[in-house]
Amino acid sequence: MKTFEENWTAWIDGQLTGKELAEFEASLPDLSAARLEKQEARQLGSLLRQELSTQGMTNEEFFSHQLREEIARDSRATTPQSTPAPARESWWSIGRVVWTGAASLAVLALTTFFMMRDDNAGGQSAYLTQIINARITDPAASPDATITPFESKDGKATVLWVDGLQSLPSEYAAK
Amino acid sequence: MHKEATPPEVEVSELDLVKRCQDGDTEAFDQLVVRYRTRVFGMIYNMVHSEQDAWDLAQDSFLKAWKSIGRFRGQSSFYTWIYRIVMNVTIDWLRKKHVKGSGAEFDDAVQLKEIDPASRTVPHADALPHERMQHVEIRGRIDAAIAQLSPEHRAVILMKEMEDMQYHEIAEALGCSIGTVMSRLFYARKKLQNLLRDVYENV
Repeated sequence: MKTFEENWTAWIDGQLTGKELAEFEASLPDLSAARLEKQEARQLGSLLRQELSTQGMTNEEFFSHQLREEIARDSRATTPQSTPAPARESWWSIGRVVWTGAASLAVLALTTFFMMRDDNAGGQSAYLTQIINARITDPAASPDATITPFESKDGKATVLWVDGLQSLPSEYAAK
Repeated sequence: MHKEATPPEVEVSELDLVKRCQDGDTEAFDQLVVRYRTRVFGMIYNMVHSEQDAWDLAQDSFLKAWKSIGRFRGQSSFYTWIYRIVMNVTIDWLRKKHVKGSGAEFDDAVQLKEIDPASRTVPHADALPHERMQHVEIRGRIDAAIAQLSPEHRAVILMKEMEDMQYHEIAEALGCSIGTVMSRLFYARKKLQNLLRDVYENV
């Protein structure tokens, strides 16, 4: 169902025919006034066509030239985007992250285990224990002297810790 | 009956040009521009009433057409398709201008615009000076009257009266229904008849 405005426009433009035309014209309260208005609408159309169609374009070739330049500029600007560079692959793939994490945890666990085991071995370091056990006094050399012989852990060197002596007694030289 | 705005023999050639454009042939697009630039410019000029703005908007329209030519499927004529772009660009521009500006464009208080007597709206025929003046004055009255219409009403009346486009072509170009086109034509004509009655009765 067309509205009055649609029917009126179609009637002005001569688009109504037959039954539609008869029905519409019959529905108009004042057909002669409507026909006058139709005539006016057509005069308006003629006026618009006559006056507005004279608008031309100066320098048409420059228009095309400018557009060509613009298209070329746009193409240069968009070409890199049209073929995007492949995304750089990260070394940190999911598998590597998992394995690295697991390895780090294992190293941490082993380090912690050995450190705790060493700490709990005797409460003191092996070197200190050796020194204390070996500490002796020798009144023959000096009443205040203490001589502490001990060997390094791997047994390749013997160390004498001499305290309170002016010089090392000769009998210790062979130890 | 309305004549077809785009004759079939032109459409065939246009389709060929469009296909070449879709393959990136800028020369083919240039041919389409040559074919439509004057009509597009004239249509935009009659909507915005500024030569510089019409030039820029026409450039913008054709550039958008080039960028989106790959999406043209040939379901409508190229002519209707390009007009759709032109109307989108121009109506959008008019709306923004209306929002930014004082709004005088659509006010009833709009007065005659200043028309350069040497502008190309004056026919190049050997018109007498007083005839030229009369013509300039008429043109000014028409421009002022059109300026009082909304962008959508301007588009409809100009496409109908200037381009002799059919309702369905206008509807396609504006992306609305045929009923909307006919309704807008009704109100645009009524308004222009009220504003220009003395002009068309005396011409």
